[in-house]
Amino acid sequence: MKCEGVRKQLTAYLDGDLSGDRGSAIRGHLRGCDGCRQIASDEAALRDGLRSLPPVDPPASLWAGVQARLAAAEVADSERPGWRRALARWIPKAPQLGFAGLAVAAVVVLLAIKLRHREDDRPVVSTPTKIAPTVIQPDRGTQPAPVPAPTNPADCGETDDGDVTAQVAAQPARKTACYAQAAQQWRDAATQERAQWSDERKHEVDGKLASFDKEIATAKNERVRQRTYRSMIRYLQRAVIRDDVALASNGGAP
Amino acid sequence: MTEIVADTPTPALAEPRPRVSASLSDDMQLIAACRRGEARAMEVLYHQFKRRVFGMAHRIVGPNDAEEVAQEVFVRVYRGLANFRGDSALSTWIYRLTVNAALSHLARRGRRQEVPEENLPEVAAAPEPERDPGLASRIEAALQQLPAGYRAILVLHDVEGLSHEECAAILECRVGTCKSQLHKARARMRELLHHLGTRP
Repeated sequence: MKCEGVRKQLTAYLDGDLSGDRGSAIRGHLRGCDGCRQIASDEAALRDGLRSLPPVDPPASLWAGVQARLAAAEVADSERPGWRRALARWIPKAPQLGFAGLAVAAVVVLLAIKLRHREDDRPVVSTPTKIAPTVIQPDRGTQPAPVPAPTNPADCGETDDGDVTAQVAAQPARKTACYAQAAQQWRDAATQERAQWSDERKHEVDGKLASFDKEIATAKNERVRQRTYRSMIRYLQRAVIRDDVALASNGGAP
Repeated sequence: MTEIVADTPTPALAEPRPRVSASLSDDMQLIAACRRGEARAMEVLYHQFKRRVFGMAHRIVGPNDAEEVAQEVFVRVYRGLANFRGDSALSTWIYRLTVNAALSHLARRGRRQEVPEENLPEVAAAPEPERDPGLASRIEAALQQLPAGYRAILVLHDVEGLSHEECAAILECRVGTCKSQLHKARARMRELLHHLGTRP
């Protein structure tokens, strides 16, 4: 038996995995080979040394840390949207369902997300032109000033310089600019209507607008800023057309 | 709800087994109780596995990160029990989570303590050494210089004393692969110890 073959089997031999004539052959070789015997001796000592390493006691803080992390994970679960929790439940079952099922689920989720985003983008910018003409009554003594149509998002600073990456990166800020522009147009409309408001109402609207401005200035990201702009625009829409709605419901009586 | 006391040296917590009632002695009953969120069952499971989980983490990722990895393992265990199908023993599953968490942690940390192949000297025959009283600490030091995969198999098989079958189940490999990895890991350890001026 050659040294190379013996050394390959030493681990198995020392762990008692070789029996019968194979073990005997190794033992026979070790009797006559100093080099292999030394390696066997070293490996046995190493194995014994590893086995006799003292156990490591966990620190006293370990259990408290586990509980804290569990609590944090549960709180995070409660704040996560339902569809994400459902997805997390289904992902481990994917091997049983097959990847086709998972793919279908992924497509459904992506569609849902896309639709949701589209809804987020749609309402405010396009509403003023639809609401104002249908609500304002023409038989009123003083005709309200026409509400200016909001600017098309495509006009809000978009440049077609061919750099797609830069365009995508600039998209949130451009969207915010569109909302800001639409809000300003509604503000202008409110300013024209303002002359007919009572002092109390002027004070109320000014306070509310100041609060919106503050929120916009301190918004932590573009998404929050856009949401605040949407709320502001809705508020201004109501403020501008409220008189007209009241007038319409009273049959045009002053 | 039972108030859970951290790892204090109180006899009741230090020796959890006597506190385990007959109804919790079985793995599946323990799992079912944990799934129901019973604090006592969760504590029993923790005490049953804390030393091995922490010991494995300690020897694979080192003392500084061991607690973080052990915490992560227990969190994964408690949160994953709902999906535990019982295809393997509870202990095998928990040790697999431990090894995976430790190796992932090392990968994330980008730690590379492996000694390059070319720096390892050849093992030379030497006279029979006397038993070194400081061998344990040098073995620990050499263990930290092993490649992570070798470290995992040495910790599981030689330090924790698990069988090749258990190691293979934990590492999700064949028994033959496990044996060959162990052989290479021990050879590398011998080289490292020799390089450090220590013979086992």
